[in-house]
Amino acid sequence: MKNKRSLFAVPYVVWMAIFVVIPIVIMLVYSLTVTVSTETGEAMEFTLENFTGMGLYVSVFTRSFWLALIATAVCLLIGYPVSYMMAREGEGFQRVAMALIMLPMWMNFLLRTYSWMSILENNGLLNQLFRKLGVIALYNSMTGRNIEYFQMIRTPGAVVLGMVYNYLPFMILPIYSVLSKMDKSLVEAAQDLGADTVNVFRRVTLPLSLPGVLSGVTMVFVPSVSTFAISRLLGGGTSMMLGDLIENQFLGGAYNPHLGAAISMVMMVIVVICMLVMNHFGEGNEQAVML
Amino acid sequence: MRKQRRAGGRALIGLVFLFLYLPIFLLIFFSFNAGDSSAVWQGFSLKWYGELFHNRLVIESVATTLLVSLLATLISTVAGTFAAIGIYSLSRKWRDPILVVNDIPMMNADIVTGVSLCLFFVAFFNGWGGFARWFNGVQSAVELPTRLTLGLGTLLIAHVCFNIPYVILNVAPKLRQMDRNLVDAAQDLGCTWMQAFWKVILPEIKPGIVSGALIAFTMSVDDFVISYFTAGSSTQTLAMTIYGMTKKRVTPVINAVSTLMFLAVLIILVINNIREAHQAKIAAKRASFEPVRQPRWVEQAREWLGTRRGRAFRRAAALAACVAFVVTVVSLTAFTTSQPVVNVCSWGEYIDEDLIDEFEEATGIRVNYQTTDSNETMYSLLENGGADYDVVVPSDYMISQLIEEDMLEELDYSQIPNFSQIDDRFKNLPYDPENKYTVPYTWGTVGIIYNTTMVDEEIDSWSCLYDDKYAGQVLLINNSRDALGIALMYLGYSVNTTDEAEIREAYALIEDAARRGVYQGKVMDEVFQTMEGGNAAIATYYAGDYLVMLENNEDLAFVVPKEGSNWFVDAMCVLKDAPHFDNAMKWINFLASKECNLRNMDYIWYASPNKEALEEYPAWYEEQYEEELDPEIYEIMAAPDEVLDRCEMYVCLPQETRKLYNDLWIQLGID
Repeated sequence: MKNKRSLFAVPYVVWMAIFVVIPIVIMLVYSLTVTVSTETGEAMEFTLENFTGMGLYVSVFTRSFWLALIATAVCLLIGYPVSYMMAREGEGFQRVAMALIMLPMWMNFLLRTYSWMSILENNGLLNQLFRKLGVIALYNSMTGRNIEYFQMIRTPGAVVLGMVYNYLPFMILPIYSVLSKMDKSLVEAAQDLGADTVNVFRRVTLPLSLPGVLSGVTMVFVPSVSTFAISRLLGGGTSMMLGDLIENQFLGGAYNPHLGAAISMVMMVIVVICMLVMNHFGEGNEQAVML
Repeated sequence: MRKQRRAGGRALIGLVFLFLYLPIFLLIFFSFNAGDSSAVWQGFSLKWYGELFHNRLVIESVATTLLVSLLATLISTVAGTFAAIGIYSLSRKWRDPILVVNDIPMMNADIVTGVSLCLFFVAFFNGWGGFARWFNGVQSAVELPTRLTLGLGTLLIAHVCFNIPYVILNVAPKLRQMDRNLVDAAQDLGCTWMQAFWKVILPEIKPGIVSGALIAFTMSVDDFVISYFTAGSSTQTLAMTIYGMTKKRVTPVINAVSTLMFLAVLIILVINNIREAHQAKIAAKRASFEPVRQPRWVEQAREWLGTRRGRAFRRAAALAACVAFVVTVVSLTAFTTSQPVVNVCSWGEYIDEDLIDEFEEATGIRVNYQTTDSNETMYSLLENGGADYDVVVPSDYMISQLIEEDMLEELDYSQIPNFSQIDDRFKNLPYDPENKYTVPYTWGTVGIIYNTTMVDEEIDSWSCLYDDKYAGQVLLINNSRDALGIALMYLGYSVNTTDEAEIREAYALIEDAARRGVYQGKVMDEVFQTMEGGNAAIATYYAGDYLVMLENNEDLAFVVPKEGSNWFVDAMCVLKDAPHFDNAMKWINFLASKECNLRNMDYIWYASPNKEALEEYPAWYEEQYEEELDPEIYEIMAAPDEVLDRCEMYVCLPQETRKLYNDLWIQLGID
């Protein structure tokens, strides 16, 4: 009987082989070749130059990873306490709060990011508010400068804000899901055994919530490091990120899918290594969780 | 103490919700704006909701989004559930590697998934083309299509691809929690495996399936990046439509449609919440052995559904629903694919959209109208192989490059009688010396747009683009050809120079200014919003677009600098082996007519190459609006000869120079 049931896995394994494994293999092939025109048309030729020439883009890699890291840290700093507080609320509150966290995803993220543009512009809502409240005048009199607005949009800070805004729910959901399923009697037991609040958190709650934190970090970091829409809208094209660089090679101005594939491969490998290292600290937690 | 902490916690949660919802409230708020700005309130109005039903692009992209998301969710929920059951009955040795591969689409960056699928599809299409040609050659019974393109099918596959892992991830824990003996017990008691599945497994894992499906659906609707790479040229999801608009201007119609979707989901969630709360109450009552009172009709209905006839009814209803769903999907796709079409790729807001409707009504040909924002991007789309455009509207230098690379089809001018109306000075231009490939669409100049309230001198030189005086106030044009071309002109070189030293000198000029912080950003169509909102003082862009901005901000001025500038012609061309050649001819002929040229000119403010249309425009304008057209505006739109004399047209640069341009441009972005 058991064997018969395992047959259900076969179609999916085939599906994954075709649509997950083969595309990555093709990408690998692309990254290791260049297109050369020959007499009969175009042909692919083996080369390593896509990888060896990548030194040029080191600053893009560092910038992307750095900004994504900041965004992830901010998400964790905000997301953990929120999840922690939420998990301690009543059931009705939790249900509503969960729904409210999922709900924004139904308004397309590009549109929400676009909305931030009108908030952060030099003449945008926030700067107008600052002007009305006299914050800018105060700043001018304190620093002796003469500015009419705070430059918020088209800065790396705006890009980080966009990432935090878009991916914060991905941090809250897994942490909350772990915390809310945690056995409360463990906390009580620790308290009975004389642990104070700090120790309960440090030695019981935190270790138990680690799988949620790890999957939250993954789910924020990976899209952050590879975004191109957010950096394009809020970064104003000034600070190129990995996503921009890759998109540029496929559908942008600098058409070179081979280089694009190579950059994607490198990014993928670095991300996988980061995840492996992180999961190593998470020790044998079975898998990422979301709900 | 405890209460205090709780209040603190709630305040924190409240703040986070404020942060999450502030932009959303803003979007909803501005969907009721009378004006088309997303920052300036001009009074309450419902007009965008009314307009929604006439905006085909938006309605179609919403329909595509919902269709793809629903289908993808349905397929991946069923497939994912069975896959999860299958995987969990495997031994660990097999299960673990499968689960690792299962994680790949989720752990991978969207862009990597999108790109790898795109490369895979294109490679597959190439292989298929070869196979189909061979197959059609050896037998004649079945004719296989030799040319496949990205579209709804590939989009659906891509969505299923990233949805299944979410379903499995949600079903798996429920399977793990389930007592395996239950199934054995059911079977020992005489159930077939299928019965055991329906009666035992399914109820156990149902919450996992539901939440998996919900997440899959949400992910599908919210996805942009993967769709962007796999949807091709004739299919567009809402996210892609929005992305196209965020560059130029998002019409409040989008706000309106998003508000409606948002409200729909909100209502569903509220109902669901109430129901869950209700169920929790019932469960609590059951636990305390209190009888639960349901309304009488509910109990009666339940009873009836339990009878044999009721069961038959249930099955029939489910079957009918399935059939209805399949029929709708099939007929929708059949309807959209059987119609004669023409696929057009042009620039953003580069046509009076009513003309598209009129053309469709007159000819019955459906126009799939897509936009990109630069010649280089368009070239990438074509090279990438997944797009199947018929008509494109590149600029002069890109046309010669496309001709050189044998990517254009010769036009059949006998089908384009309106070509005779085109002014002779726009025929046989250097990019198409014998005029075999092109019908000019618009022409114009590049110049400086500046905000007179932020600049206190009369600008007449490119020098302001490199001047510290305007630090942080200048928008650099985000396109290598124009940006470097302008720098070359400023330095007194030809815009078409192939001398590496000159180009590098031009680059150094830009790079130096960038390092000194002169540029606020690099923009293409984003320039509209930024300049109209008074967020930057100086930008370089095209004359026609300046006139559009002028409508929204009267303080803007335009000048073609004394050092000279570029003048360009954008022309309609048909791609090699275009699948709808004759329809393309009709479309081109339609747009070349005097009437269309007049209306387009009025809408996009780019000068028309149609001789009579251009000459008669001021009179036409007066007739339409009962006021005189400002001659200054007319001169900016259709630059007079003395301005054109100091302008130079771009020609196609040799391969090495193009590569140099590209490398330098990427370099500028990196630093």
